Amino acid sequence: MRIQETFRALADPTRREILMHLSRREMTIGEVTDKFEITRAAVKKHLNILEEGQLISVHVQGRERINRLEAQGLSAVSDWIGYFDQFWDQRLDALKNAVEDAENAKRKSIKGKV
Amino acid sequence: MATSIITKTVFFNATRETVWSFLTEREKIGLWFHPPKEDLAEGKDYELILTRDNGEKAKVCWGRVLEMHRPEKMIWTFTVNPLNGSLTTVTWVLEEVLCGTRLTLKHEGVEAAAGEAAMDLILSFDAGWDEHFAAMRKALSKGN
Repeated sequence: MRIQETFRALADPTRREILMHLSRREMTIGEVTDKFEITRAAVKKHLNILEEGQLISVHVQGRERINRLEAQGLSAVSDWIGYFDQFWDQRLDALKNAVEDAENAKRKSIKGKV
Repeated sequence: MATSIITKTVFFNATRETVWSFLTEREKIGLWFHPPKEDLAEGKDYELILTRDNGEKAKVCWGRVLEMHRPEKMIWTFTVNPLNGSLTTVTWVLEEVLCGTRLTLKHEGVEAAAGEAAMDLILSFDAGWDEHFAAMRKALSKGN
């Protein structure tokens, strides 16, 4: 589900800070790495998660991969009502199934005894 | 600020006591949600724990049981990870109907909690936030 990937991407403070930097300008992995005291590989992993969350896009320019903020990706986060609406639909469906399974089992057991 | 309330109604071919047990007992909650550490009790905090495939455990929803009126009504505070601990309110109402139970769920305070969570996000940045935030707002307005 896309919104979960967006939340996952935003859950980490380093990734949020990367977004802040990208909100100023597009950057290569090297330029992003220069802003942090973590390895290039770690930055690349964060960028991949941000891309999965559709919060950034990556564009190849010659030998460079340019990371760009995709601001519209953040709009998914604001739809909290939609998020919980779907969340409760799923949970209540599961509750209904669980209760009905238990009731059916109870009825079968009573029938078996009669 | 808008104050939307999410309301859901489900009918069960089961007694209120049965449905109540699925909302409050540890093992039964685990059949449709993530199980808490123990049965829910009035005035007590609860945590719904997800166990991943590798055995790792993660708290996904938590809050406090504010009120319990067995088997009619229960009120929780409720939050999830993405809300950074900002609390909303969930009210469960169970009514007897002809062939069973009508369960109504009411979820309130989502926007307010989302606003608090956004504030947490803002506060999670060190010095220079104002500049960052202005830049982000500018980028967002371009994106819309």
